[in-house]
Amino acid sequence: MTTLRLWQHFNREDLYECYQCARCTGSCPAMEVAPAIGPRETILRCLNVGHQQVAEDERLWLCCTCHVCEDRCPQQIPIGDLLVALRNSAARRGNIPGRLGMAIELLAKTGRSMIVHQLDEMRAHHGLEPLQPVAADEIREILRKTGLKEVIEF
Amino acid sequence: MKYALFLGCAIPIKYPGFEAATRLVCKRLGIDLVDLPFACCPPASSLKMVHHPSWLALAARNLCLAEDAGLDIITLCSGCVNTLKEANILLKQSETKRRKVNRILGQFGHHFKGAIEVTHILDVLYQDTFVERIIRNTQREIPLRVGCHYGCHYFRPPKYMYPEELSPTESYVPVKMDHLLSIIGVEPMEYSRKFLCCGYPLGANTDQEAGYALTRQKLSLLNERNIQALSVICPSCFEQFDMGQIVLDRKYKEKQRMPVFFLTQLIGLALGMSYKEMGLDVHRVKAKKLLTQVKVE
Ligand code: SF4
Ligand code: SF4
Repeated sequence: MTTLRLWQHFNREDLYECYQCARCTGSCPAMEVAPAIGPRETILRCLNVGHQQVAEDERLWLCCTCHVCEDRCPQQIPIGDLLVALRNSAARRGNIPGRLGMAIELLAKTGRSMIVHQLDEMRAHHGLEPLQPVAADEIREILRKTGLKEVIEF
Repeated sequence: MKYALFLGCAIPIKYPGFEAATRLVCKRLGIDLVDLPFACCPPASSLKMVHHPSWLALAARNLCLAEDAGLDIITLCSGCVNTLKEANILLKQSETKRRKVNRILGQFGHHFKGAIEVTHILDVLYQDTFVERIIRNTQREIPLRVGCHYGCHYFRPPKYMYPEELSPTESYVPVKMDHLLSIIGVEPMEYSRKFLCCGYPLGANTDQEAGYALTRQKLSLLNERNIQALSVICPSCFEQFDMGQIVLDRKYKEKQRMPVFFLTQLIGLALGMSYKEMGLDVHRVKAKKLLTQVKVE
């Protein structure tokens, strides 16, 4: 499978639709509590310094993925798609937060996002059967073929 | 009514109490749940951000399993419903994406056809049939002042989550949980910044402290309205508020003690099921005292 092409996933022309009104950034929860870039500046930087530089910035990952920005944008710019595409491109350059990288590695290896530990007992406490195992080998094979190795070793 | 039950990862592994409560409630209301060998959804806030093609393929595999069983999917998590709904729409809309995904999944005996729908337990319980059955089967009221927290991924972006209900310029404002709880005697409370993120994805991916700062803000806005408990429909939001209060207490020496319920736990209590059956005994912030106060034992 091919990688996600930035300007195929998000129409580059849409960058020019931005008013720079900051309605997105003004409602962004990540901006309130972390040194995030914010959607307005992300768009501006894509235009001014180019998306490659944006993709190298670690702050790109400071985001709740809450989609409030896109919801509030008066120009209906699909900001969510832009952020996904930029982060996919960041990941290909090795710019992935450590915790996120570890979570993906676990998913690729086990087919689940959580570590299974002494689970049968805990489930029995709630009157539940043991959890059925997932087809972890199949998941790993699928992820080999989709090219996840481009970004994460597993 | 019969659905393929998509448990996801967090519920069966971290919060099996929600699974138990949901299974009991569904059984009582006549909703058949079928278990299929699903894997991780995978989350829109993790794999999709890192490698979109891998995210789409794994989501498609889950959709294929339900298609083969001829069943729509019911989810219990805002994250799962977000991924599976969006992937289902993307693949139904794009011949190219479908072809790419099927080229890979075909090697493992799966083929995405686009034959099913994805829904969330809240949307199912909100259907007239089940509202009526809840009313008919309610054995006791739950007279608590409850704040509902929906979880961003349950309804945003609306272009994937509720495409048929809105014009492109409208925002989706969720109300179903408030309405549903009001029929079991809960007083659903409005509060400031009700649709603010719980903080979980920010904390899980990058900055835990920043994530909890959002949680703290939400909790203080809930306390401002004298709200007694929270109701959620997502295990990640639950963790952020339940575990979060313990973490915040330690850090700020505050005595935050607002019990958090998963929606089906509150409904189950109203249907006469017990505290233990609903798995409430393992929550970090215990609801026992509050429930005893309002005579729900
Ligand atoms: S809300 Fe939309 S138009 Fe305004 S700055 Fe943000 S992206 Fe640009
Ligand atoms: S999705 Fe990210 S950038 Fe957009 S408002 Fe939410 S936290 Fe901010």
